[in-house]
Formats: sequence, structure tokens, C-alpha cells
Amino acid sequence: MAYRIKLENFEGPLDLLLFLIKKNEVDIYDIPIAPITRQYLEYVQLMQVLDLDFASEFILMAATLIRIKAQMLLPKPQIAEEMEEIDPRQELMARLLEYRKYKEIAHELGRRESKHRLYHPRTIAEADYFDDETGLEFGQVTLYDLLSAFNEVFRRFENQPVHQVITPRVSVDEQIKFIKAFVKDRDQISFSQLLQQVHLKTRAAVIGTLIALLELIRSKSILVKQSGPFSEIWIFNPSASN
Amino acid sequence: MKRINRIIESLLFAADGPISLKRLAQIVPDADDDQIRESIEELNNHYQDHAFGIVRIAGGFQLVTRSEYHEHIQKMYAARTRPRLSQAALEALSVIAYKQPVSRIEIEAVRGVNSDGVLGTLLERGVIEIRGRAETVGRPLLYGTTEEFLKYFGLNNQSDLPSMEEIEAMLREREEERQEEEVTDRPEPPSEDAT
Repeated sequence: MAYRIKLENFEGPLDLLLFLIKKNEVDIYDIPIAPITRQYLEYVQLMQVLDLDFASEFILMAATLIRIKAQMLLPKPQIAEEMEEIDPRQELMARLLEYRKYKEIAHELGRRESKHRLYHPRTIAEADYFDDETGLEFGQVTLYDLLSAFNEVFRRFENQPVHQVITPRVSVDEQIKFIKAFVKDRDQISFSQLLQQVHLKTRAAVIGTLIALLELIRSKSILVKQSGPFSEIWIFNPSASN
Repeated sequence: MKRINRIIESLLFAADGPISLKRLAQIVPDADDDQIRESIEELNNHYQDHAFGIVRIAGGFQLVTRSEYHEHIQKMYAARTRPRLSQAALEALSVIAYKQPVSRIEIEAVRGVNSDGVLGTLLERGVIEIRGRAETVGRPLLYGTTEEFLKYFGLNNQSDLPSMEEIEAMLREREEERQEEEVTDRPEPPSEDAT
């Protein structure tokens, strides 16, 4: 049989402290640090044991409480006697008082929320009507609205595979080097043979090779011969034939 | 029913949110603010036997159903009823409502706990907005409440909320009451001469 422990849900260390102050019926302006610290630590330990969603802020407050307790135990230095004594609890007290105010306001807002959610206005499909004068009500669109709209669009595209078409680039210089290397060890080679050796079977690669060939002919690095129109073009290495 | 009342009724019926007195005066021909207020009062009297009435909200007037029918309307809209705001969200919202424009760091200083998540929720619900950046180190974002905040809590304007002084006075009073109780609760010390 599993045990279930009902533990108050605290919004943070200040909330827990306020709860302990109320539970012990002690004065918020004169907090008995030792017993409150002890109970605070018990709660924090319990929360850890129960593996509740545990915020590091609780540990920080535990350290603060222990520091205050230590400060109060230490004998006060002699020099401080004439100066106005500063209560080590002062800062914590101020924070608790401040927090308590907002907790009260939160409570008030909660009350209003419960009350007002009982009233229902008429609802109109938003897209049916526009403000005649302004068209769209720009004033009501905030930066956050834009960001969430962007986010929405972004999410829609998130799981779609993205295809990127990369155009293979064939440079004339590369093809010149390729033809030279190919022709170097051979006496002759046909143009169709040469094209079969071109790595990329794309139109651009063929054109690049052709331009490279023309360039090589112009610089007299190779010789070409053709027996008749539309017949095979033969490429010769001039240095080899010499 | 007077024609002006019917015009106002039609506007409130067709409106998608609260309409301000100023806006009503612009639309309704030859009517000043007082006449419009009077008409709204007459309409509300007329609605006494109906399930709805006109309320003042977010600086305007709106036709809403009476609270006693909430149960039924909620059943109709079961799937789209938005959950209530969490305690954490209400706390952060309180700080924003009273300190705006305010940064996350300031909110966290008051609450003593990280408030990143709740700010996101509040932004999503439209009750707060980003007002800009503070001209301090790190230029943090500043938050403030929106008109939706007023609508959501059924407030006419910010001053419908108790002032900070009123909150402080109330807490002081409660503290004093507690201390008085403590004094009176203390049992009488047993008298030794009683025997």
C-alpha cells in the first residue's frame, strides 16, 4: 500500500516562510529564527525526499536563514554599541512584508477571476467584422503577437523535409586540366570517348568540356581532326605525335 | 422602447467587446453621454427578466449573461473553457499590475522564485505585454498589463483594484487582530491563593 502525503504547494521560499509564520502564530516583525529555520529545513528535506519539483531558491533561503541565526548567536562587537543596532532579520523581514502584499493582491485577483468567469459576453467570429475606420486594429497587435505568429508558421514547416538543389559547377579551368591529363598518355582519343570520362553527365559539364577543348585548340595545346561533317572528332596530343 | 435605446441595444448585441461611452456617443445620432447612460440604465431595467444584462468593463459597456447561468454555458463550451490562472501566474501578474512597467528580475526579486515560465503563460493569455526595454544594464524587457487583463478580471480600469495603501492597511489590521486574539487567548495563570 502506498502512502500519500498531502503537502501544501508553495510558490517559493517566501511563501513557505509566510506559511510557517502563520502556522506558528508568531510575529512577522519579530520572527523567532531558530524554530522557524528548523521547521523550514524539515519541509525542504521532505520536499527532497518526495522528489517534488524542487527549486534551488529553497536551498538559497535555507542558507540565508542559517546565516541570520548564526549572526544572532554571535556576540555583538564592542564598537557597534554606540551605533544603532541592525537586526540581522531586517532584510528578510522587508522581503517577507513586500511579498505578503503581492500575495494578497494575487488572492484578490483570484477572487475576481472566479467571479468574473461566471459572466459570458456574446462571442463573434473575429474574421467577420473589421473596424471600418482602421481596417485592422494595429494598436492591439503586440510584438509578442508577431512573435507567436512567426513561431506558429515556423512550427508548421518544422517537420517538412527540406530539399536543396545544388547546381554542380563545372569550371572551364578544371576541364582544361582534365583534358590535358587525359590526353597526355594517349596519342589520340575521340570526343565521345572523352565525354564518357567526364564525371558529371550534365549539360553544363558537356558544355564546359567543349569550351575547354576549344580553349586548348586556340592555345594549340591539342590538335583536332574530323574526317567529315558530323563524324567523330579525334583529339591528338601534339607533343606525343611529334 | 425609445429608438435610442434600441440603437444602443443593437450595438451592444453586435459588439465583439466592451464599447466605450465615447464610441457610443460617436455612433448614436444626437446623443450626449448622459442620454446614453440613461438609456443603458433603462435597458438594464428592461433586462431584469432576462438572462443577461449590461456591465461596465475595461472602460466600456458589454452585454453579458448573468452568473447563475455560467454552469450551463460552461457545459456548452466544455472543450474551449480556458483553465484558470495558476497561483504563480496570479502572483507575477500582481507584481506587474502594481509596478508596471517592470522587468523579470524585479518580479523575481519580489516573489523569490524564477518567473520565466509564468511570464510566458501570461503573455500567451494576453493579459500582459512587452512594453519595451529598460535603459539599464542588460536592457531587460519590461512588462505591463493589457486591456485583456481588465476584461479577464472584470475590471473597469486599474483603479478598480485596491490601492497599495489599502492593501497595507488591511494587512496591518489583520496583524493587530491576530495579536489581540493572542492576548485574549492566553489562559489565566492559576491563582495560588484560590485554595
